[in-house]
Amino acid sequence: MAGGDERALGDLYDRHGEMAYSLALAVARERADAEEIVADAFGQAWRNAASYDPGRGSVAGWLATITRTRALDLVRARGRRARAMERAAQTDSDGLASSMGAAADSPDRRIERGEARRLVARSLGELPDPQRRVIELAYFGGLSQSEIAAELREPLGTVKTRMRAGMQKLRGSLAALLSGGGS
Amino acid sequence: MTDHQWSELAAPYALGALASDERERFEAHLAECAACRSEVQALREVAVLLADAAPAATPPSGLRDRILREARQIRLIGHGRAPIVPWLAVAASLVLALGLGYMYVRERGTLQRVSAALAERDSLIATVFSPDVVTAALTATGKPPSARLYWNPSRHRIVMAVFHLPPASAGRTYQLWAIAQGKPVSLGVFNTAADGRLTAAMDVPPGLTFELTAVTEEPAGGSPAPTQQPFLIGKVAAD
Repeated sequence: MAGGDERALGDLYDRHGEMAYSLALAVARERADAEEIVADAFGQAWRNAASYDPGRGSVAGWLATITRTRALDLVRARGRRARAMERAAQTDSDGLASSMGAAADSPDRRIERGEARRLVARSLGELPDPQRRVIELAYFGGLSQSEIAAELREPLGTVKTRMRAGMQKLRGSLAALLSGGGS
Repeated sequence: MTDHQWSELAAPYALGALASDERERFEAHLAECAACRSEVQALREVAVLLADAAPAATPPSGLRDRILREARQIRLIGHGRAPIVPWLAVAASLVLALGLGYMYVRERGTLQRVSAALAERDSLIATVFSPDVVTAALTATGKPPSARLYWNPSRHRIVMAVFHLPPASAGRTYQLWAIAQGKPVSLGVFNTAADGRLTAAMDVPPGLTFELTAVTEEPAGGSPAPTQQPFLIGKVAAD
């Protein structure tokens, strides 16, 4: 990618385009917005390939970070976060993770990647609902802890505890995918 | 705050869920606490993996081509392949922002400020305050210099406001380009005043439409095609 050639960009898209689009859609909730976000994220990745540092994580993670930032910027700027929040909060106890059955079955170019997705989905799905929801509201909704507390009408301390506990559990269950643990 | 209390902030920090003042305090702490840094690093990896928990969705079929097309277009602004420089990253954020109407309110604020500054210059104002005016924010690295363009297609005019750009040195000038279908078309040369500012109007060739604008530094008198990488770039967007 740092060479900047077009084929590399096409390859990058083939590998990670679906992940980026799915993420953008989960955050922005509008297909047209998700398309803009992904186009922009890949444009940025291409132009800014030198800023990717393999020592700091995978290419997928780098792209996910760019995509999520773009998506949250858009949602915030549109003032749509409030509505996105409502929807996220109304999402029944199944939350986002429930739709991962379908995701897990979708064809993936890389088996390892498909397995990683399944593991992430399963790990998130296995969290107690209250823990999963605060994490989803933070990651996909871009909400701060106090905003989550207001949204869920829970004490701030409760939200903090759930977020910490949920993240630590994920850290354990995803150890195989993390640089510090597993293979 | 005890060490234990600090480490409790690592998870919300990794998720971007701290309020800004809390985040700043924690970052100051991170600068001097290796244990918290390592905790944050691990939890950030966890957070990044959450992208995979988004429900799978199939991107529209044209998206791949669009991405490649836009990459080609950017590359054609300068010579050869895209430079790997920070200003493009910032430009990218503005491209998105403008493309999606994010800057709408801010642009309007700028229009009002520009109009106040140019109260006596009616033609400029008439150009800027047209219902069909299209704007572009050109920027370098998120810090100075920057420029804003207001393109009035029906008048074939552009008003450009440049900020914090030191005057070009002797024998050099700045040149504004419209990127039309991947090809740079000169809109004119300009220079800033000693205070680094300039507000100027330029004519746009009738019928020319373009998606991107860029500024390069060129030999005095300008060049038929850019001889340098642009240091300012911005995408135009309907207001």
